[in-house]
Amino acid sequence: MSITPYRVLVGPEGYLPPAAASRGILLPEKGEALIEGAIVPEEEAMQAIATKLLSAKNPFFFPGPQLLWDWKEGVALKAQAVKKLADLAGARVIPMPDYRPKYPMINPAVEINPNHPNLTIWHNKIDVCVFIGVHCHYANMALKIIRGGTSCYTIALCGEAGHEDAMISLCCMGMPELARLTEIIQSMKGEQAA
Amino acid sequence: MSIKVIKPTAAFASLLPTEYLELVADGPYASPKTINDLGTFKEIIAEHPHCAGCGVALGVRLTVASLPAPADTLIVGTAGCSFFGLAQAALNYSCSAFGNQNAVASGLKRMLKIRYPDTDKDVVVLVGDGGIADIGLDLTLHSWFRREKIATIMVDNEVYGNTGGQESGMTQEGQVLNMAPKGKNFAKIPVFELARVSGCVYGARVTVASPKKIGRVVRKAILLAREVGPTYVQIYTPCPTNFKFPPQQTINIAKKAEEGYYSFQEFISDDAQAYWEKNFASSTM
Amino acid sequence: MIEQRVVAPEYLFNEAEREEQFITGSEAVREAIKRANVDMAISYPITPQSESMHLVGDIYAEGYIKEYFRGENEFAVMSSVAGAAMGGVRVFTATGGPGTLRAFEAFPTWAGARLPVVCAFMTRGINSPLSIQPDTLEMAYMLDTGIIMLHAENSQDLYDMILQAFMIAEKPDVHIPVGVFVDGFFITHTRDRVKIAPPDLKLPPYNPYSAPVPVMDMENPPIRQMRDPFVMKSNFISYAAHASWQQEILAAAERSRRHIAHYLGNLLEAENETAPVMIVASGTAVSQSREAIESARQEGLDVGLVKLKSLRPFPTEELKAMTANAKAVIVPEFNRVGWLAREVRAALEAKVKVVGGPRVFGGMTMPPDLILDEIRRCANE
Ligand SMILES: Cc1ncc(C[n+]2csc(CCOP(=O)(O)OP(=O)(O)O)c2C)c(N)n1
Ligand code: SF4
Repeated sequence: MSITPYRVLVGPEGYLPPAAASRGILLPEKGEALIEGAIVPEEEAMQAIATKLLSAKNPFFFPGPQLLWDWKEGVALKAQAVKKLADLAGARVIPMPDYRPKYPMINPAVEINPNHPNLTIWHNKIDVCVFIGVHCHYANMALKIIRGGTSCYTIALCGEAGHEDAMISLCCMGMPELARLTEIIQSMKGEQAA
Repeated sequence: MSIKVIKPTAAFASLLPTEYLELVADGPYASPKTINDLGTFKEIIAEHPHCAGCGVALGVRLTVASLPAPADTLIVGTAGCSFFGLAQAALNYSCSAFGNQNAVASGLKRMLKIRYPDTDKDVVVLVGDGGIADIGLDLTLHSWFRREKIATIMVDNEVYGNTGGQESGMTQEGQVLNMAPKGKNFAKIPVFELARVSGCVYGARVTVASPKKIGRVVRKAILLAREVGPTYVQIYTPCPTNFKFPPQQTINIAKKAEEGYYSFQEFISDDAQAYWEKNFASSTM
Repeated sequence: MIEQRVVAPEYLFNEAEREEQFITGSEAVREAIKRANVDMAISYPITPQSESMHLVGDIYAEGYIKEYFRGENEFAVMSSVAGAAMGGVRVFTATGGPGTLRAFEAFPTWAGARLPVVCAFMTRGINSPLSIQPDTLEMAYMLDTGIIMLHAENSQDLYDMILQAFMIAEKPDVHIPVGVFVDGFFITHTRDRVKIAPPDLKLPPYNPYSAPVPVMDMENPPIRQMRDPFVMKSNFISYAAHASWQQEILAAAERSRRHIAHYLGNLLEAENETAPVMIVASGTAVSQSREAIESARQEGLDVGLVKLKSLRPFPTEELKAMTANAKAVIVPEFNRVGWLAREVRAALEAKVKVVGGPRVFGGMTMPPDLILDEIRRCANE
């Protein structure tokens, strides 16, 4: 293991940034989360997400296919909750409807694609983004490309094991966790207003 | 049920790019379309990077426009020019090692049958002549011998288009191509005839000059593969780039071939015929 | 068929009372697969693998597996296995030697497509000249295919590792294939005492919808997806996407470390790791080393042993720690190329003298005396 531990920091990191997992970053357990490569309690990461989103100039949510398509029970409600969260955080939403590389050209104003997510980030000058509802393989692929070529701060709200390649990552994200994050943002906004 | 995978969630529906909204509203999923409806609905392949006048592109486009149940269809492909269009298709598309398509399709089809005994999940192999007749011939034949319930469709441009115009087993005798500098010295591999003796219950040989025939035989091949056994469709899809003819000549060349050595042919087993008459004889196509 | 109930993997592996049976390695495979809740197995014969896949066929006939057939060759089998895995089920197959090489192109495509296939490799010699005898040469080729590689020392390991392999392979953060390697004949065709769980227990089924990639069943979005290679254009975007994809496959193997540690205890096991002379081995070379160490101790020589259980991912840090006091490391192997010595050398970064050998191949056994000679030489240097 390298002497200085690798940290998952905002880019542009360079030509071909490594997978954070290959640099010794471990995934969190349930109840934990990752901030810039370090394992922290989930609550702390939620606070950090709220801070990041509320202080961002141009935050965006990128809901993936698992939230855009009403394919199983519970998805519609979850999509609604995510939309509410984005609105509350003052973030705009750009969808990732599928995973094939876009031919002949992507319209980066209206969509994002995991094979070339940087195009959408650059075009919309996005400084903080949230991945949710994207299959883990494609999310990791995209998160590395974003870290390599853009200065966007990446957040992953993952229903499975989480993402080392995001700067902040939650894991095991279900409805209760979504509700808690919404609550935190709500109260942080209240404090800011006060 | 699977149509759900193309129903947008209410929260985000308005944010979907136009192309998806069109697929949802006017795509072939909710009510399957036929070749006759081309031009009136949002196609599964809207854009593709094939060469101008590419016969393979047309063959692929016509094939996917003829699927009886696109919402429950999986295409298994392989390396080759057919990849270009299929990579853009609004369908599940798998493509792994060159020539292994019928083996991949065998595993997929058997498992989908076990996971969804009551839903027809059509597994359709759609690849080039090199993929089927040369590198994948043993896997193709064995899937037929084993009576795997797969429809195999060859887009036959009589050349390895994707790698720059080399001779394939389906190239005509005498044709000069890369790697056949003195002309090919054996005949086209009789895959169509092999299909008949290797277990296929239905086969058809067509060209892109006859889109309606393609629509009819592709649909028939897929419906018969569901219940009766393996089926095979061979479509002549001329390649302007490697045979160096002007792109606007593709259809003419296919038409000429259809009048000559690539005449329309069809075979059907007794079982398949009986099944067809019982279940689909009254159908419009 | 015995009526089975699903239990937690940890219960099946650690808590359920085990019965000791005196069985062959091939039979140990059968016993593992019987409890693995496998949906499909596909076979193709090659000595010394054939018997195990016959036995898997027998339990299919009894009803333990939903689908089983003999494919036409190993490349086809590995491709059909891939198709089944894409369809969202748990699959098993096995091969060895020439079969491994015949199928070779399939293995990186499995890993690249994130397919959690479990394959047993009963290793044997590779032609020419033709040999069916034990030899671990094929493992050299497999090291960089992207699959996870576990190496069994004995039938007990084989039974345990196959079951554990499914759990490791299917973790959403891993979800790449696992190969369980075992030295042909020495293990597959000899009887040994193996402790096995009760036959009425089985692993939980595979849940395809937690996978890191969509299942090819048209029941989960997106409708427009491709399994597997996806970009064929010549531009930087395509290169970067492909590179990131490959990094993610490597990352998946990295993530498997903690799951391997959870189920197997650790990626390696060590004995007497403060000794000045250490033997580092995997597979049956470990058992031969144990005998040599026994003799060496009687001669008053201080020797330790590291048994590598996982070769991919490779336990570099653990190995460094376990050989920190060593002045020499001996790597006995059953192949001519010495792939393990290469791995060990790379891991230990020239800090320790690595003796690449003894090596035997072509089916030869490894008399413990060969290893003992090496121990004596190292101890007296
Ligand atoms: C194992 C392997 N060998 C060779 C290739 C190179 N290759 C890719 S496509 C192709 C030819 C495809 O020809 P065909 O199947 O006729 O399809 P077309 O491109 O003409 O549509 C070849 C040789 C490969 N990808 N893999
Ligand atoms: S090379 Fe031929 S087959 Fe390939 S895309 Fe061009 S025209 Fe079509």
